[in-house]
Amino acid sequence: MKKKVKVLWITGLACNGNTHSFLNYPNLEQFLDNFEFIYHPILESKYTLEDIVSFTIDCDVLLIEGSLSPEIEKADKKLFSIINDYSKVVSKIITVGTCATFGGIFRDSEYENISGLHFDETLEVDTFRKIKNKTISISGCPIHPELLVNTLYAIKNEIALKLDEYLRPKEYFAYTIHNGCTRNEYFEYKVDNHQFGKKEGCMFYDHGCQAPFTHGSCNKILWNEVNSKTRAGQPCMGCTEPTFPKSNLYKTKKNMGIPANLPLGIAKRTYLTLAGVTKAFKINRLEKDIFDD
Amino acid sequence: MIKLIEKIEGEAKLHFSFKDKKIDFVDIEFLQTRSIEKILEGKNAFDALVINPRVCGICGHAHLIATVQALEDCYEDLKVSNKAKIIRELTLNFELIQNHFKWFYFTVLPLFGYKQAVIKAAYPSQLMSKAIAVIGGQYPHNSYAVVGGVVSDITHTDLIKVEQFIDETHKFFEENLIKIDGKDIIECENIDELFNKQGDLSQILNDIIKNDWEHLGKSYDRFIAFGENSYFTKGKSLKTRRFTNITIDDIEEFSSLNSYAKNVTFKDKYFEVGPLSRAILNKNPLIKDSHNKYEDSLVSRIVARVYEIPQLLKHSKELISQINLDEPSYIKPKISISKITSSGSSAVEAARGSLIHKVNLENGIIKKYDIITPTQWNLSNGTRANQGISQKAMIGLSDEKIAEIVFKSFDVCSVCTTH
Repeated sequence: MKKKVKVLWITGLACNGNTHSFLNYPNLEQFLDNFEFIYHPILESKYTLEDIVSFTIDCDVLLIEGSLSPEIEKADKKLFSIINDYSKVVSKIITVGTCATFGGIFRDSEYENISGLHFDETLEVDTFRKIKNKTISISGCPIHPELLVNTLYAIKNEIALKLDEYLRPKEYFAYTIHNGCTRNEYFEYKVDNHQFGKKEGCMFYDHGCQAPFTHGSCNKILWNEVNSKTRAGQPCMGCTEPTFPKSNLYKTKKNMGIPANLPLGIAKRTYLTLAGVTKAFKINRLEKDIFDD
Repeated sequence: MIKLIEKIEGEAKLHFSFKDKKIDFVDIEFLQTRSIEKILEGKNAFDALVINPRVCGICGHAHLIATVQALEDCYEDLKVSNKAKIIRELTLNFELIQNHFKWFYFTVLPLFGYKQAVIKAAYPSQLMSKAIAVIGGQYPHNSYAVVGGVVSDITHTDLIKVEQFIDETHKFFEENLIKIDGKDIIECENIDELFNKQGDLSQILNDIIKNDWEHLGKSYDRFIAFGENSYFTKGKSLKTRRFTNITIDDIEEFSSLNSYAKNVTFKDKYFEVGPLSRAILNKNPLIKDSHNKYEDSLVSRIVARVYEIPQLLKHSKELISQINLDEPSYIKPKISISKITSSGSSAVEAARGSLIHKVNLENGIIKKYDIITPTQWNLSNGTRANQGISQKAMIGLSDEKIAEIVFKSFDVCSVCTTH
């Protein structure tokens, strides 16, 4: 029998959305032939949570889901102390989701000093600095199951992943959510007449879509293998970023009529020039409903 | 003695007290809170559509639908097209179905000494998640329902895909849960027909009889459901008497002494919510028969939940046939949310029972938000004099392992409860 990679999945303040998103991984059976959870919040495991906190059981990868606070306890043991103990035995740690990576939505819960493992939004946190070299961040609210599983396989196969400044694998996070969106033509030609409930139009101009400046692969590696939020007509809410959730999410923040957040790497002057040029276009195909004659 | 109950979307502690070797009281303690209601205060109303699905990773879609309906209730004459209403009902049905499969194969099987059937839980759940994603972009955690309708502009092709996912899920159900020769389970009206058949549901029912557990898990025999739609009926039931005239104004939510979860009563009484309640209120013949023979025991609770799968699949197909794609998906509200100072509420049926949202808005900003989740109803931590539904169901048992089975038969969603 081949040796399985032993994984511990531990949860802080969470909605379990990452756990359930992980269960949507299409080839779960093959995955479980290669990986074994010594503890998982839903799947059966050899050890109970009480075992996990009472001993330090041998394992290879530590997965952390949920926002963290020094106050939180799991089975009457401080979560921080569980992380400390296991970080010494594992070869890699993955922060699973935006909460565990940056603090996320539950950063505003009523516990002391809530943050992600290494980041409090964009700021670095000192507590676990020593284990930073072991950590990979898979942000997202929730995580895309393929991103988590592929990263675990990379660890298994001892592939050195290139990481960005927040420890996210560039393979998935060097792209923007905008990349692959079916509304791209409307963006390119600045056709900004989108209405909810329409397959036409780009949501960047008025509806708060953060896809052009949010890192991730949602439109490259589709959700549930079939779709993405922006394709369906929901603006990207920037859920992979340290700043998630911002406020007034269905509205584009603007300064003097110009979106306050521009596409990644585009200077304001360049954007204005480009916008000026596209004003010269009048593309009938994109101005009307796409199925109309 | 204290028992830590694990893998219930989190953990809870059961503090058992025994008298004459029998459980005479159980104190239920939930161990965390995430303060979502506080987090919402001061935020723009529409942001709740993004934050609230994150109450729960397994039933977050019910929270989205409850949120959009509570916000729409703040308007005086808001229009939502029939098409948008049907589409919302469909995606919520799909979430209920995926929950039911997960509960049966992840939670119920181990209670009877079997290994979890991971793939049997995941495969149909993934199909239902795909069906939601075709319409709403992704699952879990989309925010595709907005005030005035839905953001998606679905086509015939999308509906064909969704129907295929429904058919495949139904096929999986028949091949795995229960197979009754020459008959669709939906036509069954006699619970006895479900015993000694092929399939995992029948196996569990046989085990219940074998273990003499057919009267295990009985509580007050009091049911309630607030979520009303084209399938579910609102009302309450006491033994065999049904009342349809109920209002959420009679619900009271209050802190429990030893737990982070809040208790919920209706006119000072605890009620059971969930598929069994819904089936009783819908006067479903099979579940009525089960209730006549086994009352509100494990048998009725498990059958009601599993039996909701084929019913909702069938009803979803009917809903699809009613969709008129020419109707608008979204009708822009005449008044901007920033001008709304009002309050609104909603009730929807989530997988585990009635979910209630209440909101107060001042110029489109959330002043107060209140969420009452299904698990709060079933797992309320009452006093010895007035015990909660699951507490009552555990009284008199001599073994805390059996008590855990009863506790988990309510399907505890710890994250929802500790929102």
